[in-house]
Amino acid sequence: MTDGPLIVQSDKTLLLEVEHERADECRKAIAPFAELERAPEHVHTYRVTPLALWNARAAGHDAEQVIDALIGYSRYPVPHALLVDVAETMARYGRLRLEKHPVHGLVLTSTDRAVLEEVLRSRKIQPLLGERLGDDGVAVHPSERGNIKQHLLKLGWPAEDLAGYVDGERHPISLAEDGWTLRTYQREAAEAFWHGGSGVVVLPCGAGKTIVGAAAMAHAQATTLILVTNTVSAHQWKQELIRRTSLTADEIGEYTGTKKEIRPVTIATYQVMTTRRQGVYRHLELFDARDWGLIVYDEVHLLPAPIFRMTADLQARRRVGLTATLVREDGREGDVFSLIGPKRYDAPWKEMENQGWIAPADCVEVRVTLSESERLAYAMADAEERYRFCATTPAKLRVSEALVRRHPDEQVLVIGQYIDQLDELGEHLGAPVIKGETKVKERERLFQAFRDREIQVLVVSKVANFSIDLPEAAVAIQVSGTFGSRQEEAQRLGRVLRPKSDGGGARFYSVVSRDTVDQDFAAHRQRFLAEQGYAYQIIDADDVLAGE
Amino acid sequence: MSTEFTEWLRGRSDDRLRALVAARPELITPVPAHIEGLAGRASSPSAVARVLDRLDRFALAVLETLVVLPEPVGYDALRGRLALALPGAAGRPFRTALRETVERLRTLALLYGPDRALAPAPGVREALDAPAGLGPPAAEAFRHHSPERLAELVHDIGGRTGGTGEPAGRNGAAPGPNGAHDRPDRGGTGGREALAALLGDDATVGRLLDEVSPQARAALDELTWGPPSGRVPNARREVRAATARSPIDQLLSRALLAATGEETVVLPREVGLFLRGGRVHRDLSPLPPVLEGPARDPGLADRTAAGQAFAFTRAVEELCEQWSADPPGVLRGGGLAVRDLKRCAALLDLPEWAAGLVIEVAHAAGLVAASGSVDGEWLPTPAYDAWRVKGTEDRWVALATMWLTMDRVPGMIGDRDERDRLLNALHPDLRTSVASEVRTTALGVLAVAGPGVAPALASVRERLAWEQPRRRGERRDRLVEFTLREAEQLGVTGLGVLAGHGRALLPGVLDHQDPVEPGGSGDPRESGGVRAGTAGELLLPLLPEPLDHVLLQADLTAVAPGPLTGELRRWLALAADVESTGGATVYRFGEGSLRRALDAGQGADEILAMLERHSATPVPQPLTYLVTDVARRHGRMRVGTASAYVRCDDPSLLDEVMADRRSLPLRLRRLAPTVIASKASRQTLLDALRAMGYAPAAESLEGDVIITQLDVRRTEGQPAVRPPVAFSGLEADVVAAAVRAVRAGDAAHRSRRAPVSAPEGRPPRSPSTATVDALREAIRQGSQVWIGYLDSQGNATSRILEPARMEGGYLTAYDETRAAVHRFALHRITGIAGVE
Repeated sequence: MTDGPLIVQSDKTLLLEVEHERADECRKAIAPFAELERAPEHVHTYRVTPLALWNARAAGHDAEQVIDALIGYSRYPVPHALLVDVAETMARYGRLRLEKHPVHGLVLTSTDRAVLEEVLRSRKIQPLLGERLGDDGVAVHPSERGNIKQHLLKLGWPAEDLAGYVDGERHPISLAEDGWTLRTYQREAAEAFWHGGSGVVVLPCGAGKTIVGAAAMAHAQATTLILVTNTVSAHQWKQELIRRTSLTADEIGEYTGTKKEIRPVTIATYQVMTTRRQGVYRHLELFDARDWGLIVYDEVHLLPAPIFRMTADLQARRRVGLTATLVREDGREGDVFSLIGPKRYDAPWKEMENQGWIAPADCVEVRVTLSESERLAYAMADAEERYRFCATTPAKLRVSEALVRRHPDEQVLVIGQYIDQLDELGEHLGAPVIKGETKVKERERLFQAFRDREIQVLVVSKVANFSIDLPEAAVAIQVSGTFGSRQEEAQRLGRVLRPKSDGGGARFYSVVSRDTVDQDFAAHRQRFLAEQGYAYQIIDADDVLAGE
Repeated sequence: MSTEFTEWLRGRSDDRLRALVAARPELITPVPAHIEGLAGRASSPSAVARVLDRLDRFALAVLETLVVLPEPVGYDALRGRLALALPGAAGRPFRTALRETVERLRTLALLYGPDRALAPAPGVREALDAPAGLGPPAAEAFRHHSPERLAELVHDIGGRTGGTGEPAGRNGAAPGPNGAHDRPDRGGTGGREALAALLGDDATVGRLLDEVSPQARAALDELTWGPPSGRVPNARREVRAATARSPIDQLLSRALLAATGEETVVLPREVGLFLRGGRVHRDLSPLPPVLEGPARDPGLADRTAAGQAFAFTRAVEELCEQWSADPPGVLRGGGLAVRDLKRCAALLDLPEWAAGLVIEVAHAAGLVAASGSVDGEWLPTPAYDAWRVKGTEDRWVALATMWLTMDRVPGMIGDRDERDRLLNALHPDLRTSVASEVRTTALGVLAVAGPGVAPALASVRERLAWEQPRRRGERRDRLVEFTLREAEQLGVTGLGVLAGHGRALLPGVLDHQDPVEPGGSGDPRESGGVRAGTAGELLLPLLPEPLDHVLLQADLTAVAPGPLTGELRRWLALAADVESTGGATVYRFGEGSLRRALDAGQGADEILAMLERHSATPVPQPLTYLVTDVARRHGRMRVGTASAYVRCDDPSLLDEVMADRRSLPLRLRRLAPTVIASKASRQTLLDALRAMGYAPAAESLEGDVIITQLDVRRTEGQPAVRPPVAFSGLEADVVAAAVRAVRAGDAAHRSRRAPVSAPEGRPPRSPSTATVDALREAIRQGSQVWIGYLDSQGNATSRILEPARMEGGYLTAYDETRAAVHRFALHRITGIAGVE
């Protein structure tokens, strides 16, 4: 029996014992073909999925390497069936290829005639194809490049896209590294993407995904369309690009609900792109407005379905996706793979934290107890009102106040779901509130003031969930959330993970009502973070109040 | 000839005879009375067929060649003929192999006589119908032809009527034994002999072949390498060489084909041999084909097999545990429903065929059985409880031995039988008598592969085809495939290589690792004996040590990085849910699982203490909180049976319940501030309250908390265990005794010696146990005994015996007083005493 750090389970999960002396090298060896699923303190769980194996294939790894890594690091014998399955799954990638043909444009070719025949028989594939070119090839309508990749993936024969990209309209962009330099992993991520052509870069919140985007643009040297989640995030991107690259404000356009500028670098929101009037997407022309050389997708895991459909038509353009997690609440990971591209770079949160790139964080769950009358009211509440009722209990106000008082010298964010509750909190804490109806200008003024430490406490609704850069937020207090969304919890924690100027740690409080659905949802949300290695400490609200 | 054979057999030494009966045990069941009897039995069709079945391709070819050549055959002629069929030159390996093979065939009494005149044993010629795909000799092939027709044929090919004189060959160089057809042809025999002589002459056949058209040659080529017969309409047509037009006409008229029926023709052996260029076989290898397949690291293969052995044992246990609590029903025709098989496959996380294997092996090993014939259920047996507490290696050996010897064929699950009925798992008909033998032989093939070689399926089949050319067929091929697949699943092989512990399961496995065994040294069963003990010993060091600790993590999981000790494993199975299995086990603690532990009578403190004791790391705080939280809420409410009530010390909680709209269907009535009564049954009430998010506990009449536990059940039925069939052939002393008996019988038979008279006086009397012991001793020593025996009429007789073997309540012995071998019922032996 060898004494490896890895245990291979029959359900194709891999357990990695973190304290083991060979854990690090093992992690490096298995990371290309296994998705990190959970990373709690002692044993990390990776999963070998077909997508992960194909990602590895796309990155140039072969089955031999995968099997060697499994056998070499495994503590117990690896079931033969699993090895066979790995080899077979990996062999499926690349049997079909999309290539450019001088005469027929886009063609689907295969080295394995049987596979080609199999997929040609599929009723979903047939309408996407043109004429048959000999035994081993068939023409594909250029407009169906995305669709065919999606369908082939569903059939289990993912196609390797070798049809190349259009260069797009040239536009000089370079990084302006004055007073800062690209971090190693950022450079690696950008290079990995560029060599792969298209794909997704996975980095934790606060690891500087914007800069990776900028580096990718510097590689492309072409006009770029950037798709982001919301207007504030769009502004942030613009600021950051001006600061980090040779681009000037004139070269960067914003395409949002209020402004419709189209410039060499244009930043658009998902929302505006998916706005429909009379059943028609009104802003589709943006995609054709310029000969884009690069498309950047921010927060890929939130990419809405219509954008996927539009992306299917953009397969000839280089695409880079940026995200903190490939986990999608809607399970459309396969579409990300076939339409944006395979994973090109990945680094786990804890690792980044250990290297000092993101701030270490303490997570604390504070439990408040409902009063008797509240419990009665809670029991009688309609099912759909229950969460709101227990999440907005007045007890949370007192606890939040006490928590804010605990950190008099630190920048504190209070995050919540329900506006009434936030208004009330704002009043109690004497802090400004940012919510959906707050004007963009006002939001930015407040953010700036917060950044400048003029304001110590800021109360924000879920509008601030994504892509706002609040470098000095050291403490976040979450009073309510979107039910059990794991992904939201990760984003919110991300608010405090950016490295602090004083190098201090961050603190994330989650205030929940004991013995209610609030607690259940909190448990569900925290599971994701616990799995990322952020262990929650649980304390009682009474202790917080008594500690004053 | 038969007497010749008998004499030859009689002339063999005792050692030779012992080797014969050891290799052909069927010859001494029962022990024949004398050598003549032995010779007769050795040449009986069934006995010959059985021993031929055990020959490899080369030995069979030697025998076939011997049969084809005209008797008597010299060793050199035999060698010369066989050498023709070799693809290369006849080198040393061939000569050694031939020498050994001839000796082995002699030992088996399949051929006899000295080297200068070898002959096939009687019965062999008949058993080898169409040897090597050759047709019958001309003398036989033309048996049904009339003398007139034969005369015509002889005339047409010999060029003379009446069959007198020399054939008019161009070169006239036919030496041959032509005396036969110098005689005037007086009938069929003469005509056939003349024809045979003509066809036996290569020059004649060559000339005849030159005369026919290319189409006719092509037709012959079809038949050359067998099967030698074909169908043509009107085979008995009377055509003459001069007028023959069609290809078949040309062949029939020249006796190159013989009509054997209205529509069948056959290629006479002489013509066939000529067409084959004198070769009897097309290509012949004195050595078995080398096993081919990827090479693996033997250590890794062993470890992989051990891992699989562990997983398989665990799967059986998991299956039995599941069936303890939730047994599937027995189908009316016996067997397990397809639905239940699918459920097992999902439970065990295995493909269906592998789940079927787990079920069948568990059943064969007597761990599960049907609880009754009517409306029965498949339940674990008491034997399971005994099996469960053993070490993994012993548990595995029990399962693997049973797999090797059982006649069940799990691979056939889902097939349909001749009546198109579906064969379910555990179906009574899911069996075949050759299953065990095929498994043993197939693994035997793996055992002779080089170290670390994982022979491919095709290579194993090819090897088996060489080793047992007469035992072939689609069915066996399938069984071989099943064997390799199942061996891997069981951990008998790892990465396709026979593991050390798998090898130890095989009977009398060859310890040496010689990949090429020229001719084989006889039946591998010779050395006999199941060495199950060593299999376990070999497996043990490869298995992971059971652990007594787990790693607790803040995401409320516990990881057991290896197999756990029994106690801890059972406790975790109660207090946590299994999330994934394999080398390690991942458990998850949840409200439901902890409530299960609390329901089973554990307190929060106990649970926490248990966690602390068995955790390699500090217990994470969220887990402590979860335990205390669940425990705090657990049992806060108590629900009674008698009146179905809810009581609770906290009136507001009951207020809550009463106010909850979901409690309306329960028709609750508040009895007191702390008690609610319901008209619903206790279980409904419990379920409903739990569904509403409370954690009530059931309460007994006395007000105690009822401890609930899953019902674990056992069948009363007896396990369907058959003791594993002994692998060994015969033990040496039995063989020796048998030969002795035959010799003695033979001596008596030949000398017709007068029966010895029994000693004077009353026959001895002794207790029956002493009788058996004394007989056993006599068999061992080969000594004579004096017994008292009640014959079938009930008369007390007195005999002098030389006991040969004892089995099934009968003694086989040479009776000196009757001068013959008899069988004696042990219970009628009244007493025993030594002679002299």
